[in-house]
Amino acid sequence: MPEYKDISPPELIKDRGSLHPINHMKDSIMSLLVSYGFEIVDGPEIETEEFNFDMLNIKKSHPARQMHDTFYVENKSNLLRTHTSPVQIRGMLEKKPPLAFISGGKVYRKDDDATHLPMFHQVEGIYVDENVSFAQLKDLIYKIIHSLFGDDVELRFRPSYFPFTEPSAEVDILSKEGKWLEILGCGIVNPVVLDNCNIDSNKYSGLAFGLGIERIAMLKHGVIDIREFYKSNLDFLIQFK
Amino acid sequence: MKIAYSHLVHCIEEKPSIEQISDKLFQLGHEHEIDGSIFDMEFTPNRGDCLSINGLLRDLAVFYTVDLNQEVFTEKLNELQLDFENLSESTCPKISFLKLEIENIPETYKGSLDNYLKDLSLNKNNLFTDVSNYLSYETGQPTHCYDASTMSGKIIFHEIDKNEEFETLLDKKITLSGKNSVFSLNNNVINLAGIVGGKSTSCSTNTKTVIVECAFFQPEAIIGKSVKYDIQSEASHKFERGVDPDCHDRVLRRFIKLVSEHANIKDMSIISYKSKDNPITQMPVNVGKINQIIGINISEKEYLSYLSKLGFIVEEGLIEVPSFRSDVKTQNDLAEEVARVIGYDNISTSKITIPNNERTNHKAIENKLRYFLLDNGFYEVINSPFVNLSSEEAIKVDNPLDSNREYLRTNITNSLVDNLLFNERRQKDSIKLFEISDVYSFGNGINKKRKLSVIASGRVGENYKDFSKKINKKYLEILFQEILPNEVFNFKKLSREFLDTKIKNEIISLEVDIDKFPYDILSYKEISSPPDNFNEYRPISDLPSSIKDISYSVKDFSKIKNLTDLLLNYQSDIVKNVFIFDYFKNEKIDEIKIGFRFVFQSKIATLTASEIDMIYNEIITKTQDIKGITIPGMKKNI
Repeated sequence: MPEYKDISPPELIKDRGSLHPINHMKDSIMSLLVSYGFEIVDGPEIETEEFNFDMLNIKKSHPARQMHDTFYVENKSNLLRTHTSPVQIRGMLEKKPPLAFISGGKVYRKDDDATHLPMFHQVEGIYVDENVSFAQLKDLIYKIIHSLFGDDVELRFRPSYFPFTEPSAEVDILSKEGKWLEILGCGIVNPVVLDNCNIDSNKYSGLAFGLGIERIAMLKHGVIDIREFYKSNLDFLIQFK
Repeated sequence: MKIAYSHLVHCIEEKPSIEQISDKLFQLGHEHEIDGSIFDMEFTPNRGDCLSINGLLRDLAVFYTVDLNQEVFTEKLNELQLDFENLSESTCPKISFLKLEIENIPETYKGSLDNYLKDLSLNKNNLFTDVSNYLSYETGQPTHCYDASTMSGKIIFHEIDKNEEFETLLDKKITLSGKNSVFSLNNNVINLAGIVGGKSTSCSTNTKTVIVECAFFQPEAIIGKSVKYDIQSEASHKFERGVDPDCHDRVLRRFIKLVSEHANIKDMSIISYKSKDNPITQMPVNVGKINQIIGINISEKEYLSYLSKLGFIVEEGLIEVPSFRSDVKTQNDLAEEVARVIGYDNISTSKITIPNNERTNHKAIENKLRYFLLDNGFYEVINSPFVNLSSEEAIKVDNPLDSNREYLRTNITNSLVDNLLFNERRQKDSIKLFEISDVYSFGNGINKKRKLSVIASGRVGENYKDFSKKINKKYLEILFQEILPNEVFNFKKLSREFLDTKIKNEIISLEVDIDKFPYDILSYKEISSPPDNFNEYRPISDLPSSIKDISYSVKDFSKIKNLTDLLLNYQSDIVKNVFIFDYFKNEKIDEIKIGFRFVFQSKIATLTASEIDMIYNEIITKTQDIKGITIPGMKKNI
């Protein structure tokens, strides 16, 4: 059997690692939004009350500002941002419309159970221009949801409330099991927020949206317990190659 | 909030079904679940006005003909002589008191009051408290009932800022601390305003004379108090969200009416205090602006008809917001009203085109690093920043979840050490992890650094070339020299002395600022790419795993492929992983030695030796059929 004398050794399978599924999901969503024309902006995770709340029309009396909802640090001089919106505020203070920003990253709220963690991830976007409407916001949301969950997915818009948008909406998708699942929040930027950022709200209007990355990753990967993402268990991470 | 379908439909002329009402409530933004014939409502915090039967009916009036005119006592009322002083008018700009004396205490209830208790499965209390609770349910305005026989002296509404013991009417003893708005009688707190009344003045089943307090409290004075004192209070839920400041007269007259349906009233009188009028919000009619905000094109007539049905008053080109809608202040708020009435899902989309913006990838270096590490078998992890380790520069959390999470980490390495030990305890013998994160510290203000941290220990890899090599400093230095030959990285060997482990493998780590990496790294050509399609996750097992190795001697090289195909694709519920860990070709004697490692693990129970042996023997038996292959030291038939 001379022809087999020179047999090559078995394929040397090089072990490759994986991106963290939350970062991968965040990167995918941000790439999608960049392809729509959004620009990525970054900001600090430790914020001031002014940028995290005041500029976003979240009044001093709002429950979200209470110690039981928000982590404060260094004798209440600062806080851990509760959303990535303050990054957009900083962006709006620096640039003039038309502008389209997205920001993504870690945010913090004082929760800790099987469905809520004190640290989680968001991607938020804002687009400010002349005559931006709710109908355009719907078009954008359809594009995002269809890219993430396929063109056949059924979605619905529900009126909701956020201090920084008016009108505000929450968007649900219909699961394979026939259950409506909340996916994102969005709305028309409250003119108060634009005015706070020195943008003429009589001339300009804006749309904004925010997605919880863990929620989407759980749905896409079929992960039931949010805590699985942060155990750093190789048996878990190896599945996301 | 629970609301009975029958109580709603009773006031709706069209008599819609529960499903029809449910659909309309969803369209209006009022989330709920249906439990039998009860709506379990969850309102957004801006819609405190909906926390009642009448509140919901006011919204449903845009679709149906509703009757909100429940009967009230209409005759003139005497003025109540009450020794009352309001020392905090900014917190309570409007307050009314009604004093009622009845001749007889009813044994049973009828009409709305009876239906309310029965339909919502509520327990009877006393007439006045039950009427008060019902009125809160019907109108949204909480009232508080004092037994008049306990109320001799001067009543003061004021803000206190001292510790004071207070026993609630539900027998809960609390210590008031900080600033609180309270009612006091003879210097004793008798009511924590807007939250809960006190035991000393509460009504009982024997109460025949009542003083009913009906107030408007600024939400800011109420917010957070029920959480602070751990009191479940429907009243505070309503006051926190804002009640109608102009409803007192009607609510108290309705109170009289309901009491009169159950008992003979001997005496009644009323008094109202008002420090200022409720500001009226008016906005110009501007349907063009509404159409622009939503992206629709409705007529002014259609627009105004929606607002009228919702209780807005339109006069001389101005829209006046009703007193119960304190959430409506701007044209955007009006646009939301219109959008809700039309239905968000009925609004057509309009194509959006966003002008192209800058597309600088300011995370290019960091992303290159991630892919370089991926290519070399590293897994990316994300850790919580909360730790219990204090250091001079660590940022302290004022309100941590617990004492183990009191500080923000000042390095990533410690988190990765925890991750390493976690995986070692799960029998992982090749661990390579990395994390990129902002790390914060305190010193002359808050400092932020973006860092990469890497940790590695155990085998270099699973494949037969790397299996017997152990990770050490040299391994990582060579790895990083591949992409950055001109850089020197300070890899550290971490001591295991204080770690809770018996494993001896070296732990090598690196923590470095991302901005220290030169642009040279951008020329690295990555091999790995993340999956385009997102994998369906398979739940993992936390049960222990077992390892079995099989080594073969192969003389007939043509059979190597048969053997590897058979074993590497071996399917079993308990075989978690199989790989070639050893391969050696002995040219002198024309023999190949090839070793396979099987990792066994069940998702259901810890595997027994016999369960593992059964599969192991099956594997061996199958390969023994292949000629020219032997397992050294093993007889043909096992």
